[in-house]
Amino acid sequence: MVGALATDSLSGQVYFMDTNKANGSTNQGTENLKTVVEAGDRLVWTVISLECEAYAAIDEIVIDEDYCKPEKKTYEGTDVSYWIGTVKKDVKIIPYNIKFKAGTRAEPITTASSLYLVGKDA
Amino acid sequence: MSQQLAIILMVDVEAALKDNTLEGNTYLFDNMKLQGSEGLGTGKLISAINGISYYDGSQADKQILNWLPYGVGSLPPTLPKSFLADKSKNSDLNTIEDFKALAERIETNENSQFTDIASVVEELKKISSSAGVKAKVQSKFQGILHDLGISEHKIMDITGELITIESEGKIPEINSLTPIITGISGEAVDKNIIYPAAYGSPDMVTDGWYWSASVDTYRPGTYAYTMDVQLYKLSHSDGQWRWIPVHMRCEAYIRITNDFKKNGFTNAGVGSLPLPII
Repeated sequence: MVGALATDSLSGQVYFMDTNKANGSTNQGTENLKTVVEAGDRLVWTVISLECEAYAAIDEIVIDEDYCKPEKKTYEGTDVSYWIGTVKKDVKIIPYNIKFKAGTRAEPITTASSLYLVGKDA
Repeated sequence: MSQQLAIILMVDVEAALKDNTLEGNTYLFDNMKLQGSEGLGTGKLISAINGISYYDGSQADKQILNWLPYGVGSLPPTLPKSFLADKSKNSDLNTIEDFKALAERIETNENSQFTDIASVVEELKKISSSAGVKAKVQSKFQGILHDLGISEHKIMDITGELITIESEGKIPEINSLTPIITGISGEAVDKNIIYPAAYGSPDMVTDGWYWSASVDTYRPGTYAYTMDVQLYKLSHSDGQWRWIPVHMRCEAYIRITNDFKKNGFTNAGVGSLPLPII
């Protein structure tokens, strides 16, 4: 978070992981995670900041809505949010970006390079 | 105040349990990238600790390290500590309300729906299944079952929704319990480079206990340390869902150098923080 706030950029300051490595997801622990998905999969995005005292949340997930339309929801009884979306149809490779709210900064910060949803046969 | 640095151990719990190893299933991070940490986002982290002084030559304070374990498929640690207990309790209360409502519907025989016992049983089953499933934690040595935290917790998915069990032989898609670190040992401890201990946090938002250490920064070098990690595997036996503790280990490194300490905001030593121009 300090890195992102100090440089106004997420480049080199954000790491993505998913739970689908066994099915072929790649680039775990990098900015360019490629998540293997198929139609009907339910995707959930959450965020944790490296400095536990710093606030970070997803502001928007920018993706082709023909394939997935993530929505913001909150955990019951809290204001902690997560984003959830179902993969509408099989994909080959779909890039997407995530905008984050960070600290008390008014404007969200967008990932510097794309993440991807990748089809099983891609 | 000493500079506090965080080392995050992120575990793909489901994959680690399946492979029975943390190898290839952990992602380590710290917030010392600016100081030269290497291997962030991989299973081999070398945390850089720049020890001796600030740029202006003044003596740096001792270094404090904090270790925080998280699960890739676990509920976010930013949720209130009572989230699991509250949700479990609320679902019980809702179930009682549903039973009360059912009793009234049976009494008035709403829509002539309840003409035989089978229809009542069907409604009761529907309500019972929406009440979720409780799981207890099995102790490591004697197999004794106890509640997680101060009350019974129900099994949830990553969105915090209660799950229903379709078949007792099939483990459902669940929110893996957050792993815990149960010990830190190895070269860096044996050589008295770090002095680790578990502390209780006064911060109610995080999960209480955490491991922390002060570092002897006057002995430059690269030192390995080992984390003892406890994961929880969900299983079903003797008519009871239970979280079975599974012990695993992984290694990481600290590298102490004579380089200057840096401030993440100013990118240098002691100095003015970058204040916004209003």
